[in-house]
Amino acid sequence: MCAFLHHVIGTPNVERETTVQRYPWETVIKAAMRKYPNPMNPSVVGVDVLDRNLDTHGRLHSHRLLSTEWGLPGIVRAILGTNRTLTYIKEHSIVDPDEKKMELCSTNITLTNLVSVDERLVYRPHPENPDVTVLTQEAIITVKGVSLSSYLEGLMALTMSANARKGWDAIEWIIQNSEREKVPLCDLC
Amino acid sequence: MNSVGEGCTELKREYDQCFNRWFAEKFLKGDRSGDPCTEMFKKYQLCVQKAIKDKDIPIDGVEFMGPNKEKPES
Repeated sequence: MCAFLHHVIGTPNVERETTVQRYPWETVIKAAMRKYPNPMNPSVVGVDVLDRNLDTHGRLHSHRLLSTEWGLPGIVRAILGTNRTLTYIKEHSIVDPDEKKMELCSTNITLTNLVSVDERLVYRPHPENPDVTVLTQEAIITVKGVSLSSYLEGLMALTMSANARKGWDAIEWIIQNSEREKVPLCDLC
Repeated sequence: MNSVGEGCTELKREYDQCFNRWFAEKFLKGDRSGDPCTEMFKKYQLCVQKAIKDKDIPIDGVEFMGPNKEKPES
């Protein structure tokens, strides 16, 4: 599995959410590999593949760098003590075409002295319906080495739900708009 | 979608098109024949790695997480 803060899996501070979408796994995966740009994630302004390889089990590993522009106002940047307007995220994904599982793990590599945002997404076919895909998302936000207190967990849960929905909206948008890149996502296109 | 390195976007787009086609039409269909995109990827990488250095982006190195190719996985 991709490296996602192994020591915190199973702890109460990890926000976990499972959602479904009515597309088959292959269609979802093709969209997920081409997720950016999409209107639901306007802050992602750059994506690069840094490495890609097949492991001995035939799984495809991709290491990517995402650059995000939050449009932080000057004063916020001054408070954060940074001149950077871009924040960077590294992402590792593993696609297992035999097991039909795609995992993505991501973490920020800038502003790490202030916050860590670690996420793991797993896309799998629904066990009872091959035309449906299940997405499991986990996220943990760590502020200066201390996990967010339970007081803030409710807020995080709300954010996670909104983000989970947004994640599917982005995938759906890519599926619907796949014609623009002339690489059809579905076999019937 | 742009590359992190502004001058690399065209190379990135060519590589992405090649990869997306291979991914959808070969890899996901169980075709393990060679990757047609390696040359394109090399050119693209040369550009991106330079941009990363120039912009001082704190990447640890290409193999920054995940299992390596040789490790047997359960």
